Amino acid sequence: MPVLTLQRSYKYIMYATKQPSLRIKQADLKCKSGCGFFGNADWEGYCSQCYRNHTDSERQKKSHQGGSSDHSKAQVSGFSKFEEKKRQQTDKKTRYMKSLPVFRKTSNVKDVGRPENLVDIMRQANPEANKLMAEFIAQYSQYGEGIRKDFLKCSQAFSNKIVKELDVKPMEDLAEIAQNYYNQYQNRVNSNPTYQNVPNDVKDRLVEFFENFTMISLYNFLFCPPTTNDEEKDLTIQGRIRKLSWVNAHHLDCCISETSIEVRDLVYTAINDLLGMDSMRAPQEKLACVVKCCRSVVEVLQHCQGGPVSADEFLPALIFVVLKANPARLKSNILYVTRFCKESRLMQGEAGYYFTNLCCAVSFIENLTAESLNMPEQEFEAYMSGEVTCVSAWESALVACEGMHQLREHLALLKGLSERTQIVQNTTKSLWEDMQKLKEGICESVDSVLERTPLIIKPRTSPLALTREQLLAQAAARTAPNPPEPEPEPAPRNFYLKNLSFGHLSAFETPKSKLQLDISPCIALKPSHSGDQLSSPAIDKTPGSLTPDDNSFLGLSKVNYDIDLSDLSTENSAADELTPDKRKSPTPSVDPFSPVGGSCPVAQPPLEPSRGEFVLPFLVEETLIDKSELTPAASLPPPLVPSAPEYSGFSKQGSRIPSIPCSTGDYSSLTSSPGHSNA
Amino acid sequence: MARDYDHLFKLLIIGDSGVGKSSLLLRFSDNTFTGSYITTIGVDFKIKTVNVNGQKVKLQIWDTAGQERFRTITSTYYRGTHGVIVVYDVTNGESFANVKRWLHEIEQNCDLVNKVLVGNKNDTPDRKVVLTEDAQRFADTMNIKLFETSAKDNINVEEMFLAITKLVLKAKLEMQERQNVTQNDTVNLRKTNKQGKKKNCC
Repeated sequence: MPVLTLQRSYKYIMYATKQPSLRIKQADLKCKSGCGFFGNADWEGYCSQCYRNHTDSERQKKSHQGGSSDHSKAQVSGFSKFEEKKRQQTDKKTRYMKSLPVFRKTSNVKDVGRPENLVDIMRQANPEANKLMAEFIAQYSQYGEGIRKDFLKCSQAFSNKIVKELDVKPMEDLAEIAQNYYNQYQNRVNSNPTYQNVPNDVKDRLVEFFENFTMISLYNFLFCPPTTNDEEKDLTIQGRIRKLSWVNAHHLDCCISETSIEVRDLVYTAINDLLGMDSMRAPQEKLACVVKCCRSVVEVLQHCQGGPVSADEFLPALIFVVLKANPARLKSNILYVTRFCKESRLMQGEAGYYFTNLCCAVSFIENLTAESLNMPEQEFEAYMSGEVTCVSAWESALVACEGMHQLREHLALLKGLSERTQIVQNTTKSLWEDMQKLKEGICESVDSVLERTPLIIKPRTSPLALTREQLLAQAAARTAPNPPEPEPEPAPRNFYLKNLSFGHLSAFETPKSKLQLDISPCIALKPSHSGDQLSSPAIDKTPGSLTPDDNSFLGLSKVNYDIDLSDLSTENSAADELTPDKRKSPTPSVDPFSPVGGSCPVAQPPLEPSRGEFVLPFLVEETLIDKSELTPAASLPPPLVPSAPEYSGFSKQGSRIPSIPCSTGDYSSLTSSPGHSNA
Repeated sequence: MARDYDHLFKLLIIGDSGVGKSSLLLRFSDNTFTGSYITTIGVDFKIKTVNVNGQKVKLQIWDTAGQERFRTITSTYYRGTHGVIVVYDVTNGESFANVKRWLHEIEQNCDLVNKVLVGNKNDTPDRKVVLTEDAQRFADTMNIKLFETSAKDNINVEEMFLAITKLVLKAKLEMQERQNVTQNDTVNLRKTNKQGKKKNCC
């Protein structure tokens, strides 16, 4: 590995002497111990050597003094005092964590009795590592069992080493150990006879897999470890980015056109890729996310300006994306990758390049000043303090985009809705047609039924004998006031039309006609003797109250009964004989009323108009029906026959009802009410 | 290790924005040399394999942002860099004046690095403001090789890249020799490492 060794030597030079991010005075960069080497903020201002010595001595002091370590801190002055405080905090944190059962694994580490066991536990707790193991077996088992064993041995050794050193050594040392192990394994793969038969590309993959596998199984220990202040750094950068939310593409001289929808979609993709970094575990995977993000950024720029994209444009765009994404645990991720990703990968290749750019972007954000945004100090301060709030194009574009987005969504929704309404309309139409058909069908059937009914009406001659005298008397009484026959003609027609026009009314017709069947006998009597007179009263009523108002009829009928009581009394006795229910009632005189008030009137009044309708055909047919009196009677169903006399009483009353209305309107209903109460 | 190259070098192109860093890169990776793109999008990162003295050298060239504001942060780019190409625009005096600052930047970030100075856009003599003599004098004092190129007309671009490659290769070979001398140290280190490992295995 000549290339690698060269790079590593470079790395040491750079680590020791160069301070990457902030430009500070040379003197400030020097190690605090005054050894002449440069210090580092991460090492509390010491150089690596002095920091190690310093922490070692600190640790020794602590172990000597036990809990009362505060004494030693009095000696430490200034900056280091502050640093010490921080360390204390983190120590406290680790101590606390150790006390938790979940972290017992970690605390057990020190007494490395059976390291294999520990690793086993670790692996059990890490399903991803198990998955990777399965993957390993699937991919590399063909090269022999020896490779698997060797791989496991090496990775276990690595894991054990790291876990053992976890609480003892600083993170940078652990990173060093990790890098050493990577290189060792690579050398082993390339030189060990076990791997002789493995092709070169598989060897490379094996080395990569080694890194992947070990890092995934050690992720919980090495990512954002409590021994470092990574978490604080995360929070700092997060707060910083939040403060800089007003920075837009224009401030960065970046050509991202914030109003284009395509560009915005691409920027969103880039942001998503960047955010995905935190969910990955292996350093390679995290790097892959960075590469994906950066490729999206390049695409954005190509979209915005066309042609090739240079770093001059790329970096500002990446900074913009980082600012807008504000990824969680950004610093932790970057530090984790820097520490535990194979050095060579970070220093070369596409992933290395883009990761470097990301580091640059973060560093730029950390050190961002008014100058770096080309704006006056005052304006910058105003923005930072929140005095001036900038309605950035990005923000407004987001709003506009949101509006557009909503508009589109709503349009889509409306489209769906209109389709559905169309369906509803169609079905409504068909339903309407069905209803129309039904109505017609009903009308037809009603018509046919009505046509048939006259035939049935006639035969009921049997009850005629019972009430003939009464009817005759009534008919005689009414003939005088009744209007002439031609008059009623228009009214029934009206009613007929009405029935047709209203579906529900026509639907009522069937029961009516049925009722007619029942009641017809009594009415049928009339035509034989005084058909004209009987029909005429019905007609009288219909014009009087155009709508067949049950109540008005009710009232009328009641009045009627009041008047007719004397007449009915005889009839009732006959009815009583027929129906046992009536017999039970104590007052036979009242008895007829209750049915009248309840069911009969409801049925009867509509009956009358329907009667009326048929006045004309009736009249014509009467003679015919008369002739065929007996046949329909025979055709009548037996249950109907007995019912006929039962109803005959009411029907008679009903037939009488029409006679009264013309004279008494509301008044009659008033008089009827006491009769009802009696009932 | 049968790889498709013998050496892998990382080169960095720095210079003010607008001096044609990207164009140089594009010209180099696009032309004559049998190179291959790794990224078909953008020119900020390119890989190219060249032949130097019968050795296959794989170059990966990193473009950097040249804006003043990014100057302090681009130091991360220098990590693991073998050679740096400092570019200025011969039609732009300011970009030449800034070369000194760029060189200082390199000095700050890495000690052992090979550099070349490149005056780009050397295709329209009428607009040339940075005279070759001045540039040459400056390059001599800084002990750097100077190239005047034109990415547009493809003048001197390949030569320049070849030159820096040779420089880097030479430096690397020297470094290897030096390491061979101090090999004992490294062997010792490895031994200790292995011992540590053995302990773990037991």
